[in-house]
Amino acid sequence: MKEETKTDATAEFFGALAERGHAPLLEWAKGTVRFELADGKRVDHWHLVVDKGDLAVSRRNARAECTFRADKAVFDRIADGKVNATAAVLRGAVVIDGNMELLVQLQKLFPGPPAKRGRRRNGASGRRRT
Amino acid sequence: MSDGLVKILDGNTFVVSDSRGDIEGSLTDTTGLFSFDTRFLSEWVLTVNGQRLTPLSTDDLQYFETRFFLVPGTGTVYVDSKLSVIRRRAVGNGFREELQILNHDEKPVDLTVRIDADSDFADLFEVKDALKKKGTYSARVTDGRLVLGYQRETFTRATDISATAPARVDKKGLTFKTRIEPQGEWSTNLDVVTAAMGSEERRERPTFARPRGRQNMETNLKRWLDRAPTLECDWDSLRKTFRRSLVDLAALRFSPPIMGYRSLPAAGLPWFMTMFGRDSILTSLQALPFTPELAATTLRALGDWQGTRVDDFRDEDPGRILHEMRYGELTAFEERPHSPYYGSADATPLFVVLLDEYERWTGDRRLVRELEYEARAALNWIDEYADLMGNGYISYQRRNVKTGLENQCWKDSWDSISYRDGRLAGFPRATCELQGYAYDAKMRAARLAREVWKDPEFASRLEKQAADLKRRFNRDFWIADREYFALALDSDGKQVDALSSNIGHLLWSGIVEKPKAKAIARHLLGPRLFSGWGVRTLGTGEGRYNPIGYHVGTVWPFDNSFIAWGLRRYGFKEEAARIAAGILEAADFFDGRLPEAFGGYERTLTRYPVQYPTACSPQAWSTGAPLLLLRTMLGLEPVGDLLVVDPALPVGIGHVALLDIPGRWGRVDAFGRGRLSVGEKKALRQSQEAMPV
Repeated sequence: MKEETKTDATAEFFGALAERGHAPLLEWAKGTVRFELADGKRVDHWHLVVDKGDLAVSRRNARAECTFRADKAVFDRIADGKVNATAAVLRGAVVIDGNMELLVQLQKLFPGPPAKRGRRRNGASGRRRT
Repeated sequence: MSDGLVKILDGNTFVVSDSRGDIEGSLTDTTGLFSFDTRFLSEWVLTVNGQRLTPLSTDDLQYFETRFFLVPGTGTVYVDSKLSVIRRRAVGNGFREELQILNHDEKPVDLTVRIDADSDFADLFEVKDALKKKGTYSARVTDGRLVLGYQRETFTRATDISATAPARVDKKGLTFKTRIEPQGEWSTNLDVVTAAMGSEERRERPTFARPRGRQNMETNLKRWLDRAPTLECDWDSLRKTFRRSLVDLAALRFSPPIMGYRSLPAAGLPWFMTMFGRDSILTSLQALPFTPELAATTLRALGDWQGTRVDDFRDEDPGRILHEMRYGELTAFEERPHSPYYGSADATPLFVVLLDEYERWTGDRRLVRELEYEARAALNWIDEYADLMGNGYISYQRRNVKTGLENQCWKDSWDSISYRDGRLAGFPRATCELQGYAYDAKMRAARLAREVWKDPEFASRLEKQAADLKRRFNRDFWIADREYFALALDSDGKQVDALSSNIGHLLWSGIVEKPKAKAIARHLLGPRLFSGWGVRTLGTGEGRYNPIGYHVGTVWPFDNSFIAWGLRRYGFKEEAARIAAGILEAADFFDGRLPEAFGGYERTLTRYPVQYPTACSPQAWSTGAPLLLLRTMLGLEPVGDLLVVDPALPVGIGHVALLDIPGRWGRVDAFGRGRLSVGEKKALRQSQEAMPV
């Protein structure tokens, strides 16, 4: 087996989700998602259970209400914010089977593009006039 | 149709054809079968024995169905044909066309009937901007069907064409050979099915659903109309306008693929059949007393897609409500930011406003609890992300400078925000109505926090912020010597001092201090803003005023409906009724279907409203305008579990009864009689006697 020299964005992404354990953005979402990520001849499996915002991540190869299929290379880029998940679905780089509503919840978990140097929230310091 | 094109649709699938039913689209010609922002047919041409056809008449049966009566041959002065050709087309998942040919002769006739079909699979944006395609095309014949395809990397789209009568199918179309006996007929169904999303590589083949049945859609429309309140009134024109609004609203319903079968109002037909934050919210607000379920879906869908990250390409921030969603190729390849695009400065506060207004009407606290997180995130966006100048006001400036929107308020044309002398304001721009929406959002959220979320501390904080905002706003935006609010503050915090219709939205939001309201009402109904039909977007005498300038002088029915609501909020019943009367009389000239905008010319000068040429009709918020005006005239206001009715109707409208208004009270009726004299007219026009335009 090839040795992995680069960091694995996909594993980091799921690792961070597992660590987080809870996402308030998904407070009203409930369901299971199966990820099939093709890496050459191998297919990596991830399994995500969302229950009222609680997240449980595993490597189980189990059935789910929604299946998310992509090349691992594509998912790596989604996981580090370089590719937009919704656009990837529109162009067929990601294929969703099953409950599409879960996808909408799921896309909230993906990060934005890597931050540009020194971007602030507000243009100015946030000082209020009174 | 004014442009000679025939449009029918279902959701975001629609057909634009010429009056023969033919499609000959190109990058500069907008005819075609469109679905999910992609053109699936750019050629669909019928010939009989090699001849094109001539239209005798076109019947728009329903918004999703049209019938074309045709005869063979073209270019003759008169028609003397022994053949009739009828095409009846209904849009579903693609479309179904019933083609029927009648032979009126005493002799049999041998016919070669041909449909030429092709697709350029253009993205809507490509049609608008005439761009070149990057993928490859295919055409194959399988199982007696013609399948047209397009592929660019993993992006695939396909059009599947089949017929019920025996046909010879080739890669460019279908040919039928038939003999029709004297007084006989021949017919076939042509099914065109679109396939999008998913990838052909990974699936055996795309799944082609059957077109939805016409029967279904008819039942659906009937149910929609039955569930809405009934209007009884003496004024024929108002009844017609009301019905037109409800039917058009049905046509404008759009079910995003991710929303199950629930629907929300799209922005306009046909080019804007998609989720728009601002348009979907404002139309839902207008329609609340009539079809509250639109608001529920709008809130859910926009909540689901609320921004969660900082993304400059999409102008996305955490808590921001989207501006526009698109599904075409350019969006799919991130060449356009609409997946979705967030460049709107008003949708976020308006989201909170709609949530509160929805609860006041329906009592649906469950949804308010479900969306607590989203509402809080929206309020947080106002304070933490929208205040670009650090002066405590919402302002906007796009971060995506290539394909983002420069103007992120409803007046989104390049020249809409100007000083009195005609200079344009620089960016960021803090337009005044945004501050009103922010104030209203905070006040309404405070009520929700106290009554539903049980967080009185948050409620107090919001109220304090709102009071502070109101005080500062009335100081910083008020032009004392002219007695109105500036259109905006510029990037230096200076007043952009043109007189505009935006001041009417300020009344609606409640941010105007009482003593100033009278002057605002006087301006709105004064000669510089009021044309006799409605309030102009920009006052006459302003540097950029132009009666047919998109946002600098035309009258927008939607704008006026919110202004009328605002006038009532401050107790100006008669002024509100005058605006309602003007807009509803204008509607009569457009057969009950108000355009997006019409000219700002003096009513006494033109006598009829001059239509502004726009691509989209009906437009959702113009469709909603008569509904909100009705609410305003009847003075409908939910108070606790009751609906208060306080009618203030113009003379000449006669008796008005709105029956079965749905809400937390169940269903109630409202009655009113016209008593207010609203101008030079003694009575409102009874029917459409003047020229249509």
